[in-house]
Amino acid sequence: MTRGRRRARVRESAVSLGMMGPAVLLYTVMTVVPVGVAVYLSLTDWDGFSTAAFIGFDNYTHLFDEPSSTDAWYVTGLISVAGTVLMVGLGLVYALALKGKSRTNSFFRAVAYFPHVISALILGYLWAAILGTNGAVNNTLAKFGIEPVGFLFDEKFALVSLIAVIVWAGFGFNVVLFVAALQTVPAELLEAAAIDGANKRQINLRVVIPMIAPVVTVATVLDLVGLIRAYDIVVSLTGGGPAGSTQTFTYLILARSFEGTKVGYATAQAVFLMVVSAVLALLVTALRNRQDQAATGR
Amino acid sequence: MVVTEALTTRKGDKPKVRPPEQDDTVRAEREGTRSPVRWVLLSVLFVVMVVPVYLLVVNAFKSQQDILNNPFSIPLSSLTFEHMSAAISSPQFNVIGGYGFTLFLVVIVDVLCIALAGPAAYAIARSLKKRTQLVLLYFLAGTFIPGAAVIIPVIYVLREIGLANTVTGLVAHDVASTLPVSIFLFVGFIRTIPVDIDHAATIDGAGRYRTFWTIIFPLMRPAVVTVLILNSIGIWNDFVSPQILLSPSSGHYTVTTAIYAGISQYSTDLTKVFPNLLLAVAPVVIFFIYMQRHIISGLTVGAVKG
Repeated sequence: MTRGRRRARVRESAVSLGMMGPAVLLYTVMTVVPVGVAVYLSLTDWDGFSTAAFIGFDNYTHLFDEPSSTDAWYVTGLISVAGTVLMVGLGLVYALALKGKSRTNSFFRAVAYFPHVISALILGYLWAAILGTNGAVNNTLAKFGIEPVGFLFDEKFALVSLIAVIVWAGFGFNVVLFVAALQTVPAELLEAAAIDGANKRQINLRVVIPMIAPVVTVATVLDLVGLIRAYDIVVSLTGGGPAGSTQTFTYLILARSFEGTKVGYATAQAVFLMVVSAVLALLVTALRNRQDQAATGR
Repeated sequence: MVVTEALTTRKGDKPKVRPPEQDDTVRAEREGTRSPVRWVLLSVLFVVMVVPVYLLVVNAFKSQQDILNNPFSIPLSSLTFEHMSAAISSPQFNVIGGYGFTLFLVVIVDVLCIALAGPAAYAIARSLKKRTQLVLLYFLAGTFIPGAAVIIPVIYVLREIGLANTVTGLVAHDVASTLPVSIFLFVGFIRTIPVDIDHAATIDGAGRYRTFWTIIFPLMRPAVVTVLILNSIGIWNDFVSPQILLSPSSGHYTVTTAIYAGISQYSTDLTKVFPNLLLAVAPVVIFFIYMQRHIISGLTVGAVKG
């Protein structure tokens, strides 16, 4: 009896393994192994061609030495933080304005959302054609006698333009996300608050937004982790210029890998970026959980 | 509506406590759909979101001179298909040819992703063993990996297994990158399907695979649609993987790599830029308009559950 049961259990495990095996194998070879390789390469001076020599943690100690990498961190940090704040803020404002179930509202939600299905590379080229020296905006300004503005070619404006385009392309996702969450807030709760004498602003700030806080956290994590990897839109909008003023960290990593000189160093940066984005995601989620516990655990 | 009513009736018998200007905006908001604040918000939204698309469409049919002088106008007399047809037949960067290859990638990655993620998610969702749950965590860790940043080591691995610069290599990488989120969504969904259904199928003599594909999989339709939409949009728009894993010498261009190859050379010739961008965007926007509701709800499910 027991032998039969054991045999059945072994067969059961074998079937389970058979079902998970192919996915686990492919994922391991194509995703996990490359991360392992990245960690190994980051400890070498590999240039992409010759054999790699092991140099220990040298690459990591130089992570912040050179100006281009410090600048890239500043750019990446500013894009992530400013972009996330604006995307979440605009997302909330428009979600509150569009939360009702009506045709007009779903139309405007789709209008806010559509860039999300278009490649960031293509959106970047489109905006480059609009904001460029010969673009629609500058040509219109010229008609009013205003000198062309270097939205993409002036170091003062390029980063602002980049963040603006990123927010334009991304905030609609938050709108849709928040609307979905808002529609789950029970109407009785809002009624109760209204009967207690709260005005609309108070209801939004004290009742509605706290109710959808978990979704706001999800959006914040997704935005932060997404923006910290910004690459495609940088390639097409500014190409990292002018004078490297819009080079993000991922842009720097890939540009350097292509030059094929310091692949080891570039992978050290990639590994570091991976750790930072994982830590950020875990940190925001943990903070949120603690807040939730503080709110409910009295 | 109920809230608004409650607010206005309540307002009558309460003394004013706020300064007048603030009171005005509050009242404006309270009037709901007709409020000027809302009207301004929506107008700004419409203009900011739609004007770039308008410019894209209109300028794809104008001469360089018209684009520069009157970017916003529609000069009915001088609209031309010339640049559009030049873009369609351009041998230098073939966006239309890119459609075919990109569509092929999307379909094959979708099929393989479902074939691998489905059974894996089923085994994970139905197992109570700790080590199986560790497999789920193992996949979830993949969502923290910034794909673009670690693509160089992927080349290294592909070179080792003899798939460097091949379509197979790109497909393998793309499928692997879709697995974490797909499995995560599938596991969540399968857990909402009662286990009794599986037991009934087992009693009727179906094995695990058969139970999954003939009983459970058809019940997973909403999750499958979500995953298909997520993956298809992701693969269609992907730029870094095809650009880096398939060199131009391979002769294979996706829509994004074709646009990159073309536009980065001719960025000052707007009669090349606008038609090509319009060609690249059109299928996605048409797909979006057609599938709008599914896309929006599908993508939201993915994020709300995360």
